[in-house]
Amino acid sequence: MTAKKHSVGEHLRDQGVSRRAFLKFCTASASLMALPPGLIPAMAAALEQARRPSVIWLSFQECTGCTESLTRSHAPTVEDLILEMISLDYHHTLQAAAGEAAEAAREQAMKDNFGNYLLIVDGSLPGPDANPGYSTIAGVSNYAMLMEAVEGAAAVIAVGTCAAFGGLPEAAPNPTGAVAVMDLIKDKPLVNVSGCPPVPMVISGVLAHYLAFGRLPELDEYHRPLAFFGQSIHDRCYRRPFYDKGLFAETFDDEGARAGWCLYRLGCKGPSTYNACATMRWNAGTSWPIEAGHPCLGCSEPRFWDAGSFYAPLSVPTDLSSTQVLTAGAAGALVGGTVATLARRTVETAAASRQPVTADELEQTL
Amino acid sequence: MSPIVNPAVNPEATTFNLERGLAAFRAEIDGPVAAFFSSCVHCGICAQSCPFYLETGDPKYTPILKLEPLRLVWESEFTLWGKIKGALGLQRKVTDAMLAEWEELIYDSCSMCGRCSMVCPVGNDIQAMVRKSREGMVAAGHAPEGLAGAAVRAVKTGSPMGLQWKTLQVQIEHVQTSSGLTVPVDQPGVDYLVMLSSMEVINFPEYLEAITKIFDHAGVTWTLSTQCFEATNAGIQIGNKDIAALLVERVVDAAVKLGVKNVISPECGHAYTAIRWEGPNLIGRRYPFRVFHIIEVLDQLRAQGRITTEGKELDRLSLHDPCNLARKSGVIQQQRNLMDLVADQFVELPEHGRFQWCCGAGGGVSSNERAEPLKLAAFKRKKAQIEAVEPERMVTMCATCRTQLEEGLEHFNMDIPVVGLTELIADHLVDKEEPA
Repeated sequence: MTAKKHSVGEHLRDQGVSRRAFLKFCTASASLMALPPGLIPAMAAALEQARRPSVIWLSFQECTGCTESLTRSHAPTVEDLILEMISLDYHHTLQAAAGEAAEAAREQAMKDNFGNYLLIVDGSLPGPDANPGYSTIAGVSNYAMLMEAVEGAAAVIAVGTCAAFGGLPEAAPNPTGAVAVMDLIKDKPLVNVSGCPPVPMVISGVLAHYLAFGRLPELDEYHRPLAFFGQSIHDRCYRRPFYDKGLFAETFDDEGARAGWCLYRLGCKGPSTYNACATMRWNAGTSWPIEAGHPCLGCSEPRFWDAGSFYAPLSVPTDLSSTQVLTAGAAGALVGGTVATLARRTVETAAASRQPVTADELEQTL
Repeated sequence: MSPIVNPAVNPEATTFNLERGLAAFRAEIDGPVAAFFSSCVHCGICAQSCPFYLETGDPKYTPILKLEPLRLVWESEFTLWGKIKGALGLQRKVTDAMLAEWEELIYDSCSMCGRCSMVCPVGNDIQAMVRKSREGMVAAGHAPEGLAGAAVRAVKTGSPMGLQWKTLQVQIEHVQTSSGLTVPVDQPGVDYLVMLSSMEVINFPEYLEAITKIFDHAGVTWTLSTQCFEATNAGIQIGNKDIAALLVERVVDAAVKLGVKNVISPECGHAYTAIRWEGPNLIGRRYPFRVFHIIEVLDQLRAQGRITTEGKELDRLSLHDPCNLARKSGVIQQQRNLMDLVADQFVELPEHGRFQWCCGAGGGVSSNERAEPLKLAAFKRKKAQIEAVEPERMVTMCATCRTQLEEGLEHFNMDIPVVGLTELIADHLVDKEEPA
């Protein structure tokens, strides 16, 4: 593999990528991660010199949606650029090789770059205690393959909610005993790029950060990069002013829905969901779910599949009907009213039986 | 509210006892009381606002603890938990011994200055509940002797100090001789009925002379009433609505009989809140006249340009706001406007206006001889404030505050005289031009 001898800069020029396109990419990546503008030249210089790292991409219990997302590039071929800047030595959807040759490529890459390669995982995997037969590649269980691959990895990036949090395979009743990557890997730097699928620029942004600065970006408590997951969908939503005014769509076909009012009452999980959709949008910045008229499902959050109906509003009990709530309220009001009436009667009786104090009485006490 | 007389009550059995006291406590429990006790978060900030706690350091003087009898009645008779605890025998009961112990807390160590109500983070009106608690204490026979005596004298002689019109008559003659003006008595249809406090008549006769001069200067029509001259209300101090209502009725009757438009409460704190705020509720009807504190009237006259002064006091003066006037009634700016008229060097105490500190003598504490040591202890807070700004004289507008300041400053050997604001204004009036 001759490419490995080249720096990223040399490789890009070999590929015919202009200096201008490269700087544009650096600027876009830096601004995505909210880095100060002063860091753009530093990032460009670092990327120029960076040795293209070997990347091994393992796909386990997944739907390939995350890979599909990554390949839906926007901004001038940013994701293509990323693919040029790394040496993707194993990715069984994208690689040309198949069968034994493919596995041999992986083993070779792991051996040649031991301790230095990036391990990207998409999909959850049956845990160590589950039946390994639910998901295997070339006869090797996902668990065994992950454990073997992680040994020589410099860092691990879990792409997609399945890899990050277990996702759909792990949803109740979790028949395959699926677990998230971070449940198994405790001793390596790990980034979760959640989302079902993640926003493509977020995947490429994390890779660019790693390449430019040689370390992983700042993370939140779920190991997600803060630059992309630091703010809730709700806080950045363009429909937020309607929420603040109390203007809500009540059905998908009412006046409010047509006028583009807030989708909170239709079950939008925006307030509890942290992701970059509201600012980066999808399909080359064309639109995003809420702009298309559908409430946020909260797909970048742990256990989003099991968190009640997608169409139940966040703060309304899901298992009580409005009749039950009203009945309970009426009963409470009745009890409270009765107690208040009894208390008032006690006070009135006391006031009525109260003997007025006279000066003569007081005088007797002197 | 007019007193409800139950004909079933045997007049022979009119003795104060625990049962009667508990009934009075019970009758005082209303929505606000229930809400206040339910909301208390036990933060103790009320203790930090109370001069009696701060200057003694004894935690039993924490304002909210003073309400324990009222709180127990509320808890045991009006809450589910209290009833359950009662059924299990776990609820503390209000006993005669407890009320005897609390007498000092509810009377001797509380001037009802309202600072605790002001600072309470959940808005509990603690001083109002002390006022309510006193209703129960009176009915249970646990009111201090000094206050009971004052109340009896107020009802029977018309003055808590046993003062009679003839004493005032002598004062009036002195004022007329010294000022050459007439003090109007029983003049119907005038603008103002002037009320006095016995304390002023005895200790500060200069007040009557001062208003005589000022009203003559400003061309105000006014009168005293032989039927009722006493503005103070011993019923409010001891905490009994029957006696309080009776005393308010006397003022109302006198004002109605003379057909005056306004009634002026004198340089006294509680007399003003009694007649201005509690009065209509006590008698259960609206007044056909308006009520002002003398300081409010003077400031109105100043604003109308009816008071012309000359010269200023040149020494360093500071001002003590009476709690009833400033904190409880919002009369704060008026006295400062008047000070500006006559004071060259006016310096504010560190905390003043709504957040001033009590002199320690209000709420009946000064009528309660037993409370003397506590009254002096609470004064230390005021003393520290005065020391901080080192005035040459103090000015105030309440006879009780003034007496307390004078006695307290003398006790601590501080040579700072105290004057009433009304007299200070009278001293600087421009002489009327004699008609040619």
